[in-house]
Amino acid sequence: MLPDIVSSLRGSFAPGTHSELRAQRSLSRRLTLLGGNLVRNARTDSQGVSARVYRDGVYGFASAAEASPQSAREALAAASGNARFLADRVNPGKGPLPAIAEGSLPRQEDFSDIPQKQYLDFITPLDEYIKGKYPDLKSRTVVAYADSMEKQLLTSDGYAAHTLAPRSYVYVFLNSETASGMPVEIFKSFGGSGSFDTRFMDPSILYGEVDRLYEHLMRKREGVYANAGLATCILSGELSGILAHEAVGHTVEADLVLGGSVAGPMLNQTVASPLVSMTDFAHTAFGEEAPLPVFVDDEGVLAEDAELIRNGRLEGYMLSRETGRHFSMKPRGNARAFAFNDEPLIRMRNTAISPGPHKLEEMIASVEDGYYLLYTNNGQADTTGEFMFGVSMGYEIKNGELGKAIFDTTISGVAFQMLKTVDMVSDKLIWTSSGFCGKKQPMPVGCGGPDLRCQVMIGGK
Amino acid sequence: MSRIRQTAELALIALRDLGADSAGVQAQTGKKSEFTIEGGRFTLLRTTMDNSLSLQAIRDHRRGSVSGNSFEEEAVYSAARDCVASAEAAQPDPAWEMAADGRGTFRDGAPEADIVKLFDRTRELMDSVHQEYPRIILEQVIAAHANREGIYLNSHGVEYETLSGQYEVTLMFSGHEGDKSSSFNYSGLVTDSLDKPFLELGSVRQNLSDAERQIHTEPMQGKFEGTVIFTPDCLGSMLSELLDNYAADRVLLDGTSQWKDRLGEQVADRRVTLSMKPLDPRVVCGERYTAEGFLSEDYDVIRDGVLRQFMLSNYAANRTGKKRAPNGSGSMVMAPGTQMLSQMIAATKQGLLVSRYSGGAAGTNGEFSGVAKNSFLIKNGKIGPAVSETMISGNLAGMLSRVAGISRETVEDGMTSLPWLAVEGITISGK
Repeated sequence: MLPDIVSSLRGSFAPGTHSELRAQRSLSRRLTLLGGNLVRNARTDSQGVSARVYRDGVYGFASAAEASPQSAREALAAASGNARFLADRVNPGKGPLPAIAEGSLPRQEDFSDIPQKQYLDFITPLDEYIKGKYPDLKSRTVVAYADSMEKQLLTSDGYAAHTLAPRSYVYVFLNSETASGMPVEIFKSFGGSGSFDTRFMDPSILYGEVDRLYEHLMRKREGVYANAGLATCILSGELSGILAHEAVGHTVEADLVLGGSVAGPMLNQTVASPLVSMTDFAHTAFGEEAPLPVFVDDEGVLAEDAELIRNGRLEGYMLSRETGRHFSMKPRGNARAFAFNDEPLIRMRNTAISPGPHKLEEMIASVEDGYYLLYTNNGQADTTGEFMFGVSMGYEIKNGELGKAIFDTTISGVAFQMLKTVDMVSDKLIWTSSGFCGKKQPMPVGCGGPDLRCQVMIGGK
Repeated sequence: MSRIRQTAELALIALRDLGADSAGVQAQTGKKSEFTIEGGRFTLLRTTMDNSLSLQAIRDHRRGSVSGNSFEEEAVYSAARDCVASAEAAQPDPAWEMAADGRGTFRDGAPEADIVKLFDRTRELMDSVHQEYPRIILEQVIAAHANREGIYLNSHGVEYETLSGQYEVTLMFSGHEGDKSSSFNYSGLVTDSLDKPFLELGSVRQNLSDAERQIHTEPMQGKFEGTVIFTPDCLGSMLSELLDNYAADRVLLDGTSQWKDRLGEQVADRRVTLSMKPLDPRVVCGERYTAEGFLSEDYDVIRDGVLRQFMLSNYAANRTGKKRAPNGSGSMVMAPGTQMLSQMIAATKQGLLVSRYSGGAAGTNGEFSGVAKNSFLIKNGKIGPAVSETMISGNLAGMLSRVAGISRETVEDGMTSLPWLAVEGITISGK
């Protein structure tokens, strides 16, 4: 854990100017077993201090790799100089930021940073289980990954905090090939917030998951290409979660709204079916802790939920303090920085579409000719809301029943059009949190959703 | 340099003292100064100072690696202990080894920043875009100078000293008219000189101009097999995906590469020569040595359509019995063709000009399908309207075998040099 670096420096802030000081330590650990061989065995540890100063409509930022009160003071002076350099040249004339609530959060508990051997002791038997039970696989990869962010935050007018956010995952990749020799693969991640030793105590907890993954892969070996074109699809919670994040979430980040996103003129308008509601949760969702809880952001704003869509109507944006002033809306703690030398950007936290009234079984039974799309391997969208997701596992639906598996494909559409076609929403929510959102800086985020029945473009032959 | 050298030497001694048979250390310091423009206005000047320290140790054929950013003596010892402990926890694998020789001192690009001129060039870019492309909204522009000074040492006597600096510019933008807008597009470039306006570098002007013409789109109807002309920006991302799936460490280590037994064979049209050239003068501050400590040299992956070299690290080369790639960079250079782009378009009966591809990660079978973004219809040899909600699908390796043309023109963005590439037999589908 970092020693206290910033709390004694409140007196260093220039009066009347919004200033932030942050000391941060980021750890990551990654081990990769490819075919039983340890091809990656890495630990990273990065720490430092940064300061950001707001002056009349522009920010100055500076950072240093040394985590000490002295380097924090120097960063503050350099950030003030940068703000002055820019303000003098562009004369923004915007005045100070509106006041926010002030306070201090209690320090969060430390976590155990276990040695590399403990990670290996978990994934080696898991890899041996796969090798022993499924010798016909073409190849297999098992990865142990853990990261954490520890932040000490002090702001001139907001919340102070000392937070720790560890998360841990195991990734399993299985490869086989079709009768004609075409490679097919499948991948799934397991895990969430917390340290690796508390998440993963016994490898046997994943054996059942691996068995299910293998079954899907065997079905995929006998797969068919999807028929390209517009199709009735049921998106699993994993896909609807990434839809919530990529295709809707990014368009309602206020900085992208200012950059011309499609959501700009859509506020308070119908953008989805009445069955669709969506929220960016801060730390608690549906009565439980969210996958990656955030209690305060890096501008010192106490984190609250940001309601985005209610019963199909666009209700709001995700904001920083400055964009909150622009739109006359309350910032709710979305301004987050990845590394000690990164400035806060508007980022999602735990973004999810709310569950609905339907059962998955009745949804599948309702589709005469379509697809049930289970897993995704990536997704992108742009500020028009046009999205694309890679689908790495899915099945045909024929006459209300699951049919053959399909090979890797892609779905695409325009979010605010496609969401209006949603006519069934399942009662089961699935969260994922193992990846990074990319937006200048990476950022851990959670996203979730229920199964959705909708019309969407699917790629294929 | 003295503190960087002291840190590297301290770490190397610590690793040896802790029992490493082979050890490698890279220590670097860097400074970045960066302007951010959001929504068309300057919002931030950011200055970051950082260190990096990367340690690798091999003990009894077991390897560990650790990286951090503290040069404090106790932190260096702690990193060395962590590194050797990681190695001790690993399985033995004789494929791990470090370079046995290599020395060099390299000074590249523009190590000293001219911040005032960088600001002026950035403001000039904003003003020029505003005047010449009034329907463009600059969602974000990042204009930065980054420099880095470093040293690499290993226990076999390999030593490299580097000092480099470059200007980096990225733009994200879209065209707008009333409530209509184009898809966002982006341009990125690296340069060691501020002599020319940013608008005249790389693909910036072309992409801005295209974005204005992509505000009004028409959805594609139906499905057909046609020719796709990939712009150099889009070609770069397609080739990266192709090489990851056919020629890189992972797919050769796990045996899923469909090219694994095809070295020396024709895998592409004879007009295709694709190289990795970090030493090419068109590449700014290219790689000078690999992560494993080998001196970097240019090489051809494919020459005249024949697969010449996989992109293998030394470790993967040892494990697969194949030859190590002479560099580990992504500095792609594709040899230009003989046709003008206009001739390639005129020769296309039905297809698309694709500036950006947004697709799922292709599997190891190379099958891809995704959305053709920022793209124009081509019909009977003429550029037609911009299209929306249009998907393309095909096979990555198949692309290089079904080449309809390679342009004489190329785009240099400081990182790569690539032409326009026309590919036949791509499935194009709309609503």
